[in-house]
Amino acid sequence: MSPQHRFWTGAALALLLGGSSLSADDWPRWRGPAQNGISAESVWGDAWPAGGPKILWKAEVGVGFSSFAVAAGRVYTIGNASDHDTVFCLDAENGKVLWYHPYPAELGDKFFEGGPTSTPTVDGDRVYAIGRAGDLFCFQASSGKVLWSKQLSKDFGIPVPGWGFGGSPLALGTQLLLNAGEAGLALDKTDGHLLWKSAAAESGYTTPLLLPGDDGLVLFSSGKAYLAVDPRTGKEAWRVKWVTNYGVNAADPIVRDGQMFLSTGYGKGAALFAIGAGEPRVVWQSRVLRTQINPAVQVGGFLYGIDGDAASEPGALQKAQLKCVEFATGVEKWTFPLADVGSVSAADGKLLVLSGDGELLIGPASPEGFAPTSRAKVLRGRCWSVPVLSGGRLFCRNAEGQVLSIDVKKP
Amino acid sequence: MALSRRQFLAAGAAAPFILAARPHRKYRTALIGSGWWGKNILNEAIQAGQSSVVALCDVDAGTLEAAADHVKGLSGESPKTYGDYRELLDKEKPEIVIIATPDHWHALTSIAALKAGAHVFVEKPTGHTVQESRAMLNTAKESGKVVQVGLHRRIGPHHVSAQKFLKEGGAGAIGMVRLFAHYGGGAEKPSPNAPPPDGLNWDLYCGPSALRPFCRKIHPGGWRQFLDFGNGQLGDWGVHWLDQVLMWTDEKFPKRIFSSGGRPVKGPAVLNEKEQTTDAPDHQVAVYEFESFTCTWEHRQFGDNQAEKHQIGAYFYGTKGTLHIGWRDGWTFYPSNGKEKMIHQDSQLQEPDGHNLKLLWADFLASLGGAQAPVASIERAHRSSVLPLLGMISLRTGRSIAWDGEKETIQGDPEASALLRRPYRAPWIYPG
Repeated sequence: MSPQHRFWTGAALALLLGGSSLSADDWPRWRGPAQNGISAESVWGDAWPAGGPKILWKAEVGVGFSSFAVAAGRVYTIGNASDHDTVFCLDAENGKVLWYHPYPAELGDKFFEGGPTSTPTVDGDRVYAIGRAGDLFCFQASSGKVLWSKQLSKDFGIPVPGWGFGGSPLALGTQLLLNAGEAGLALDKTDGHLLWKSAAAESGYTTPLLLPGDDGLVLFSSGKAYLAVDPRTGKEAWRVKWVTNYGVNAADPIVRDGQMFLSTGYGKGAALFAIGAGEPRVVWQSRVLRTQINPAVQVGGFLYGIDGDAASEPGALQKAQLKCVEFATGVEKWTFPLADVGSVSAADGKLLVLSGDGELLIGPASPEGFAPTSRAKVLRGRCWSVPVLSGGRLFCRNAEGQVLSIDVKKP
Repeated sequence: MALSRRQFLAAGAAAPFILAARPHRKYRTALIGSGWWGKNILNEAIQAGQSSVVALCDVDAGTLEAAADHVKGLSGESPKTYGDYRELLDKEKPEIVIIATPDHWHALTSIAALKAGAHVFVEKPTGHTVQESRAMLNTAKESGKVVQVGLHRRIGPHHVSAQKFLKEGGAGAIGMVRLFAHYGGGAEKPSPNAPPPDGLNWDLYCGPSALRPFCRKIHPGGWRQFLDFGNGQLGDWGVHWLDQVLMWTDEKFPKRIFSSGGRPVKGPAVLNEKEQTTDAPDHQVAVYEFESFTCTWEHRQFGDNQAEKHQIGAYFYGTKGTLHIGWRDGWTFYPSNGKEKMIHQDSQLQEPDGHNLKLLWADFLASLGGAQAPVASIERAHRSSVLPLLGMISLRTGRSIAWDGEKETIQGDPEASALLRRPYRAPWIYPG
């Protein structure tokens, strides 16, 4: 094993464990410790009392769709108000603002409420956050001090995709990887200097995903493809052409056992690819699942995701379906109606579903069907941000920026 | 007469034979304007099984590529792709052309397609100005080709049954109709101008309209609120409901139109070298005086609330009660006599976008044989499309206009009459 190889294996291991300062129930980045949307925590599974679940605290963070990163008792998210985005660090115990950092940013409310769409990333005592226009910050997690900042279009000439940068940064080894440009961008995570960049084409909206295996490849998306890149060199290993309307390759891929699952909205559909040696090969492809904004989760041999596009009028609802699809075959097992397009994550063998209209549903993940054991309307307005489970609390937010910490500890 | 079991079986057995004996004719079909709505229409064309999709056109190469990929996934076909509709018409000689561009392109593309020998399915409203619409109608008549306009509410099941209810006197004598489409919203901040994205032919997008700076707010999909390209809510939503009024009444046109509105909430329209906003009104009222009734339109893009039960649709006020025809909420009759029960019928729409394009496309195909006019023929759609366009003329001039619907002229107002047309940017030439 070469020293370099050892370094990278070590980096991958650290990534999976979530870094040294994290406890087992931290959720340090978009999609969680294993980048799969699944929490290792246990979760409430019984019916809530008549008044709904216990709300531990509430906070206001401004308009947007940023989800949460949680580490070392601190909760991070971003919101927009008064022509500024603000990165918030809240106390996970009580929701108090520990620090915040505003920067000028357009609301950008065409076809939706607007505001930031990416989620901060915690790496040790550092937090990375990116706004839709490409304003990138590295903060000291404990103090909120800006250690460095970059502007992706001004500093590196990266084109801003149609809906702004939506993927979250990925800290890997000494690098900070961003889904920016045709096939990613790598900065040195200590000071933000450029390591490599890709062609000046519009990126998709996924978060860089470290692929399993010794190759250490990272998966990026452009507006027209999903691309595997060697992060050490920036060299593209392979790509799968994947054309979605308006370049909205937004839902994160799911990779396991040498297979890659892709699904996007606007009627495009889904496919499973065999990846490994040589070019990826289609295992199945259909329109069975069209995840427009938030990705599905995979539990056991099954995918659970939300099929359908959101309404393009703020405030309007668009019926959608939660679906169960067999990973290996693409066979649909069941559908469950939702009042509006939302998100789904998983913990403890259960699905945590937040419908686009703010209804929270929890029930066993099973290919037999979905029978929520607890459900309650917890938020008003549009809810696209994926709820995050950490330390027995479920953090949820809506478009206008109301944050809830809900007690979902297993009794 | 009831069929005997034997007759029934015989009839059943014969049916597959009849189908087999009449294989569907496949029309060479092309799409101009390959975005969201264009693909919705194309889906119906493909699913109806009587089209082979030979070509797609869009000024945005990204949109074009996504549409080609979409067709490949649906039908396995690989249509040729074009950035310029003139080249498409010249090389492909399509038999059906679907047009789903922004409104300011409807007239030139429709007329060119008709002259190239194609039947046309074009989105509503027909023209961006009145005389474009008239030119489309004239060209359609000269060509002998069929034009269906995307007024799918003409054939939507709950609209058809509501119209039947009205015509059978269910609501009694109607004296007033109120049309509306309300949404929430607030102040609008200017968005920065930007270089057009790679692959977008912005000059051709603007086409006959002024070449304004590009802004992401316009494309994709935002053009409806920019008056260079659309006519705001009245042009987009109003035409559907004004069309419902013309379905119901025996009158052909209103005699007088007045409209007022503005942007007190969104704020003044901005267009400069750095940034821009939309410029369509954030609220608008238009009054259409017919001989035997008065019709009003109103829209708001703010003040979303629960005070009014229905947010979109038409109220027909009659002596027996009020009929609301809506969108997803179907239709409901509220009787004047409190002792009588409400009558309701659910909508029957295609989701996710809540339309009835499948029925409208089937009607279009049925009309291509020449036996019947399509339900949203260019004649009917022209009359309906003119109404929002006249409302916008009154809004611009700030005074009521007297409309001679026979001659299609505005009486005694040269300034308003001039707005029946618009200046075209060279080299494009205003039709008719």
